[in-house]
Amino acid sequence: MISRVADHCVWLGRYVERAESTARLLQVTRTLAFDAELPPMACWRPLVIVSGQYPELVGQLGAESAGNGEAVQRYVTWAPENPVSIRNSIRAAREGARSIREVIGHDIWEATNELYLWFMSEGAASQYLHDRDEVYRHIRRSTQLCLGLVRSTMLHDQPMDFLWLGVMLERVGQTARTLDMHHHIRTAAELGQQSLLGNAIWLSLLRACSGFEAFMREQQGRVSGEAVVGFLLFESRFPRSLRYCLKTALGLVQRLAGARTRGLSEARERLQALDRWLDVQEKNGLAISDHALLTHVVDETAAACGTLQKSLSARDPEMSIPQPEAAQ
Amino acid sequence: MVLIDSSTTPTRAPAPGVLDGYKPIPGTYDELVDDKGATRAHGQMLAGMLRNMSADAFARCQALAELSLAQRGVTFSVYSDSRGTEKVMPVCLIPRVMGAVEWARLEKGLVQRLTTLQLFLDDLYGPQKVIADRIIPAELLLGSKQYLPQLRGMKPPGGVRIHIAGIDLIRSPDGVLRVLEDNLRTPSGVSYVIENRLITKRLFPAAMDRIGVRRVDDYPVQLVETLRSVSPEDPDRSTIVVLTPGPFNSAYFEHSFLARSMGIELVEASDLFVHGNEVFVRTTLGPRRVHVIYRRTDDAFIDPEFFRPDSLLGVPGLMRAWAAGKVTLANAPGNGVADDKAIYPYVPDLVRYYLGEDPIVEQVPTYICARPADRDFVLGHLSELVVKAVDEAGGYGMLMGPQASAAEIAMFHDRVSADPRRYIAQRRIELSTSPTWVADSRTVEPRRIDLRPFVLSGKGRSWVLPGGLTRVALRPGSYVVNSSQGGGSKDTWVQAEAS
Repeated sequence: MISRVADHCVWLGRYVERAESTARLLQVTRTLAFDAELPPMACWRPLVIVSGQYPELVGQLGAESAGNGEAVQRYVTWAPENPVSIRNSIRAAREGARSIREVIGHDIWEATNELYLWFMSEGAASQYLHDRDEVYRHIRRSTQLCLGLVRSTMLHDQPMDFLWLGVMLERVGQTARTLDMHHHIRTAAELGQQSLLGNAIWLSLLRACSGFEAFMREQQGRVSGEAVVGFLLFESRFPRSLRYCLKTALGLVQRLAGARTRGLSEARERLQALDRWLDVQEKNGLAISDHALLTHVVDETAAACGTLQKSLSARDPEMSIPQPEAAQ
Repeated sequence: MVLIDSSTTPTRAPAPGVLDGYKPIPGTYDELVDDKGATRAHGQMLAGMLRNMSADAFARCQALAELSLAQRGVTFSVYSDSRGTEKVMPVCLIPRVMGAVEWARLEKGLVQRLTTLQLFLDDLYGPQKVIADRIIPAELLLGSKQYLPQLRGMKPPGGVRIHIAGIDLIRSPDGVLRVLEDNLRTPSGVSYVIENRLITKRLFPAAMDRIGVRRVDDYPVQLVETLRSVSPEDPDRSTIVVLTPGPFNSAYFEHSFLARSMGIELVEASDLFVHGNEVFVRTTLGPRRVHVIYRRTDDAFIDPEFFRPDSLLGVPGLMRAWAAGKVTLANAPGNGVADDKAIYPYVPDLVRYYLGEDPIVEQVPTYICARPADRDFVLGHLSELVVKAVDEAGGYGMLMGPQASAAEIAMFHDRVSADPRRYIAQRRIELSTSPTWVADSRTVEPRRIDLRPFVLSGKGRSWVLPGGLTRVALRPGSYVVNSSQGGGSKDTWVQAEAS
């Protein structure tokens, strides 16, 4: 496939996954803010911090805005100036889908386009005012539809592998960020490790990763910080855990490389190093939401994405010319 | 989405149908109704369907059609906005119907015209007998901005120059279809033909079935077979791509649509490079040789080495590869000279010259001011004529006589007298009309239309898409059918021959 198109595929997967996880995080944080008797600042500021946009929000709306649930939700959902707002993720996903429409096929394009048209409509804006949960639910359902269509309508071939690689890499980062929220909430609210409120936060984070029910079944209701962190980091059967996403991403990279795809070696080395590092953390029993540890995961994943993008968009004039080969 | 086939919905009481009270514009040919108000023979089924449809039912169908087009992303970009704002192509659901007999004759005429223009281009970029035999004045041909002298002597790989043509036709009040313009470079619009058909099939299946409408959805297959047939190498081992300027091009939807429906890659210029006169595309598996490029970019943006040294657009070396016979470009570079305004009046002469036949399709009578008798007539009738400078486009250097002021007419009198070779003139044609839904008044009124059929020419094969793009001037009284200026489109139903 065309290298430029492969790059678009990775980004389409990332934007769709980002829109979904952002919507989910907002929905869960709303519930947490209503239930948990946390000060609003302790609920909402961490959400902005882990999205990487805290300095920008403060720069635009002032430091107190991070404790204003409405302001944070508006900023994270709608703000055109916030590069990771849901609006920008949906728009970028739709633009990406439009430019590789001939590769992803009509169904995925239509699902992405419908999500975009709905999100930009007056209907969505008014629903945001009157039935906000439904807005976030709609986004989650539509993005899930897109990703479901990826697996059920596309050829299981390079374009899908690149797209799914984007999904997995984005999910690694999102799960690490979600876990990191715990650190920020606890710091902000000056909470002890084992309080009941602490458990409420852990459960919220599980929900933000769609992991609540899977976790409860595994642990038969025994909730502890260690168990939740262990589950979200190391549970290889849970499709949003770091381990699962990393292993899957590595598997995709190896399959692509096995199909003679070029320019993946650097990204593969980084992902392998991160995977090994995760093994070490598990052996050392560091199943704790360590801010530095999670920051490392987020940074390394971003670096892997960066090298991937660089090699796919390379305009290397030295590309060797192949011997005549069969037509596609 | 729930769609209703209103054409099968029986009406209990004779409710007012949308066609009630429909009156053609006097002095203008209407495609459905003759000047006595009677329905034309090939329009009986359509008229029957419309008479059974209330304004409510029609408005509902129209709304469903528009929603469906938006959701499918059937859009064109508007250039005035650098972000590439997209608009849904406006569509009127009332189709234009063409009878089988008329269509068969038109098909023959279009193939004849394209055969002629292909021979003309081969000649012009080769021996130039047309000049030696004084069929067209040499200075007119060689002075055309569209003539590329640096291509002379080069032969296109595969032998074909006009692989894809879109011929604009209008119908004059006498009922005769006439060529208004040949588009031999990168004609667009075929994706709307296919998308419009998807919608009419969903909304009016029963009526279509009764009329026996010929299918248009095999265009992509015909196109890819045409492209494959002109590959410089083994067609079955050839890689074919569509080259687009990118998502901000006004016709991007169509580029993507065609690549998708042909199952081939859509590439941008930066995806391609030339090595040793062969063209390659950058893929995740390394470079892959490309044999045929269906390019939707203008000549000027094919190859900066060849056409525009100042430009960064295009693929450096592509013209070298083409001249070396290593890659086929569809359409071939240099075709613009054959759809030039200055050459258009001579096409009937070219048909006689190259084929020894009389032209089957008429065109709009044109006065060539280079001819003294024509010039004198034009100078005496400026207020009735449309005068065009042959080397200008987009409405510049043009006199609309019927609307012009005395000063403008005097100015053109001076210009044509001073340099008659630069000018041609035509009478303004009263374009034919078709019943068209007017959303504001919820009524059906006559609106002016044209027709762009598409002709594919490969090695030893020609094919005319049975249908084509009918464009409609949606504004009352307007003659402008362009989508950028308030134009829309209609499905074109070509009746299958009566068995």
